[in-house]
Amino acid sequence: MRSGHFKESIPGLIMLSDSVPVWVWSGLLLVALALAPYAMNAYALSFLILILITGTGALGLHVLTGCTGLISLGHVGFLLLGAYAYAVPVAKFGLPPLLGFFFAGAVPALAGLVVGLPSLRLKGLYLAITTLAFAFIISHLIIEMSWLTDGTRGITVPRPRLLGLDFDSDARFANLCLLVAVLTLFAVLNLGRSRVGRALIAVRDNDIAARAMGINLEAYKLKAFLTSAFVTGIAGALFGIYLSFVSIEGFPFLMSIEALAILIVGGLGSALGTVLGTVFIVLLPEASRIAFGLLGSQAERLFSLGAHEIRSVLYGVVIILFLRFEPRGLLGLWHDVRRLWVNWPLRY
Amino acid sequence: MQYLVDQIVSGIAVGAIYGLIAMGLALIYKSTGLANFAQGEMAMLIAYIAWTLAGLMPGHPWLVVGGALVASVVLGLAIERLIMRPMLGEPVFATVMVTIALAVILRAGAMLIWDPYPHALDIGIGRGVVMLGATGLREAQLAAILTLMAALAGFWAFFRYSRIGKAMRAVAADSRAAQLMGISAARIHAIAWTASAVIAGLAGIFFALLYDVSPNLYHVGLKSFPATILGGLDSVLGSGFGGVLIGVAENLAGGYLASSIKEIAGFIVIIAVLMIRPFGLFGERDIERV
Amino acid sequence: MHFRTLMAALLVMASTAAMAQQQGVTDKEILLGEVEPLTGPPALLGIAYNVGTKIAIAEANKAGGVNGRMLKLIVEDDGYVSARTLQALRKLIEVDKIFALTSLSGSGASVAALPVVEKAGLPTMASIAPISQLFQPPRKNVFAVGQTYEEGMYQLTRYLAMKFPDKKWGILTQDDDYGATLKGGFGMTARESKLNVVYQADYKKGQQDFSSEMLKVRSSGAEIFLAGGVIAETVGMVRELEKLNAKPVTAMFWPGRVSATLKLMGPAGDGIYAVDYVEAEDSAAYKAFLEKAKTLVGEAEIKAINRYTIASYVSTRVLIEAMRRCGKALTWECTIAEIEKTENFKTGLMGPVNFGKGVRFSSQAVRIMRADFATLSYKPVE
Repeated sequence: MRSGHFKESIPGLIMLSDSVPVWVWSGLLLVALALAPYAMNAYALSFLILILITGTGALGLHVLTGCTGLISLGHVGFLLLGAYAYAVPVAKFGLPPLLGFFFAGAVPALAGLVVGLPSLRLKGLYLAITTLAFAFIISHLIIEMSWLTDGTRGITVPRPRLLGLDFDSDARFANLCLLVAVLTLFAVLNLGRSRVGRALIAVRDNDIAARAMGINLEAYKLKAFLTSAFVTGIAGALFGIYLSFVSIEGFPFLMSIEALAILIVGGLGSALGTVLGTVFIVLLPEASRIAFGLLGSQAERLFSLGAHEIRSVLYGVVIILFLRFEPRGLLGLWHDVRRLWVNWPLRY
Repeated sequence: MQYLVDQIVSGIAVGAIYGLIAMGLALIYKSTGLANFAQGEMAMLIAYIAWTLAGLMPGHPWLVVGGALVASVVLGLAIERLIMRPMLGEPVFATVMVTIALAVILRAGAMLIWDPYPHALDIGIGRGVVMLGATGLREAQLAAILTLMAALAGFWAFFRYSRIGKAMRAVAADSRAAQLMGISAARIHAIAWTASAVIAGLAGIFFALLYDVSPNLYHVGLKSFPATILGGLDSVLGSGFGGVLIGVAENLAGGYLASSIKEIAGFIVIIAVLMIRPFGLFGERDIERV
Repeated sequence: MHFRTLMAALLVMASTAAMAQQQGVTDKEILLGEVEPLTGPPALLGIAYNVGTKIAIAEANKAGGVNGRMLKLIVEDDGYVSARTLQALRKLIEVDKIFALTSLSGSGASVAALPVVEKAGLPTMASIAPISQLFQPPRKNVFAVGQTYEEGMYQLTRYLAMKFPDKKWGILTQDDDYGATLKGGFGMTARESKLNVVYQADYKKGQQDFSSEMLKVRSSGAEIFLAGGVIAETVGMVRELEKLNAKPVTAMFWPGRVSATLKLMGPAGDGIYAVDYVEAEDSAAYKAFLEKAKTLVGEAEIKAINRYTIASYVSTRVLIEAMRRCGKALTWECTIAEIEKTENFKTGLMGPVNFGKGVRFSSQAVRIMRADFATLSYKPVE
């Protein structure tokens, strides 16, 4: 049993993990996730891909909301912008996909700077509603600029060929998504170890105190918006490729809410929590479907027209119960389990 | 000229409904510090209940409205007691998420109990056209405007003169100090939720009379967010005005610019206003101490 | 080398197995699947469409099934969100292993779903909203019965332009692909007949209040107004015009051609022009269909019946008949070939259905109708 942590140097203090088993298990998980797509059926695979893409997008929001404490209700706007910034050059003008991915990050990042400007003056819900406004304005602009975006008709997006590799099959595409998701997770985790990350956390905890300590609020808030929009834009491009068709309708406003739900259910402010939250929220509808199936086909027939609504109700109820009994989120639950595991049979 | 007047008057009529819902939002925010994302859904639910009552009691419009308002009191109390009160003291984020989940439940629940088809709420009154000079307004539109005015006056007096109103302001200012003074914060929260449900219900009924009863009705809640942001999240009266301003801005944008800009006009207005007044037109600036 | 022979052997085995028994087919059962919005506002059409499929299936099963095999339907809801459409399709095809698809969800979502369906290769009927991307270029396994919005709008406006010559026109459409196709159809007539268009605008999807738009219509002096909403929007426009005491000749489109629309509009809806390829409610064929439906499905389903039910019923019948013609050895190949051979298939509920070599769209003739408020129905005009 480990008893206490003794750190002798700064690098030792801020390293991602000093535990060998954690590294080994993470590596094994990574290998398993990379190989699993070749053994799964397409339906299970679609969940894996969705988790990886959603996770990337949610990590983008995590940088802004979790780390910096700026609430955004408009992240679907960045997702949409990323999808279009990829689809327009690649599908319409035939530019290489790698360049498309660059645009998918850069265009939303620039938009993020614009959206970030109000954050220098606004707080809390005022900012949240402003970002919501930007999301609506972005989708309006995409429709208006139909000479570039084909307006409401949408753009069909092919699967990419990158660096000579073909990502046409779902399994290959899952590997691409895994690569992006892991890189993002790694970047976000490392952000927390850097000066920038610590400054962001200081801004989140109390921006006035942070400013008093010499942190340039304007610069850091804008940096947070920039990073967050960049990551979310990449996720948007992947999502567009996954859908194979980019249109306004593929990105409903509810995705913004769902992204916030992921952060809160997972445990606000932690990258690990964001990952757990993603898995939970993406799989919840499927879980409630299975739970409903257990009631037997009689129940299904009884509610022949209402079965889908019942599942939606169930979805809401699970979230409420969850937050009622575990407001720290999945991360809190995970900590409890880990403590129990390490200290058992002692209580703590 | 008549065109401009017509646009403004019908803008005020729509804005009155936004304003009523926005007042409900502000009331909850002021007393509990929460943004209630289920406000539009509450309006939708009451509209559905009114529609059911109208089917049961044809020819008794006032019974229908009264019954729906009783239902909204019950709804407000139930939400506060069963869902929100257990969350007291939990992080604000988690509590706001609970209202989002509540919105999902109410939306799906309404489709489950009723159906996804739009229905006309026909209680015999409210649909006739009243002429104000050369401008025509439906009775329900006029009623919505009058109700908003009554609510504005009522809340002004309530906060200024009544004991409960003052207690509510005290809880909003500092809930711990207020509790130390012997004010029950829980009771204040219950009153806020109930009052908010009642005005949301009224707005829902007006909306249903003017347009239809359908699961889409909850959209009006989304439109009310800009209204309450414009007026100031913690300003109940300001939110009412904010709704009217948004309604007029939308109609002017639709009437003089393009129809497609109409739906985002409200958002553009709030961005512009927030740049100048970051706490809304009538909101109070938080004094922060480190 | 070994690997290759192994793979080849596997492939041969797989293909012979497929020939022996296609997925979704057992000795007693054939599994069908469909995806459509059953929650959220578009559920209005999704649920009605689903009922049509159920009726067609119940009818076939009552008559002893398809060559002794009973039909079973698995329904997936996508809430009209493309990502969920894709997942639902993958579940139906890979997990439930259905034999054929009876619906592909609404227009935008169905376009996103096309690559998956094409790759899987199973027979697919996509008749809920037949937009041109579904069958242009033709895909081997995707069939649509109905009519495009463009063509419908073109016919409607041409009729009105002939009946009311030299009038001022106004049109308000939704800012999505549905609205864009309506505008396309209207544009064809406008160019052809050189219409005097005084008002043309888009509204944002989900808009509920149309006061500013209708004031604009009134002040533009439009004498013919095309209300290009779905249901609630069209109702909102018409009632707003009523309030403003403006009385242009008004016309609407088939997603709104349901009795609920008229009930909502009230007397203001009387005499509105509409267009559809499905028979009107007071036709003998429609009434007979309703009677038949009452013996096949429950009360809740009967209440949900509207024009989409008919669209679905006819489209599913085409599929079932093709499967029947395949006999005991039911395969995708055969079913697709048999659907293709469908010629002059009549139900009385819409025109005869025809496909052919390389033809994946059975274009149905449209009919202009007028609303009758007293009976809450639509009657074809002479």
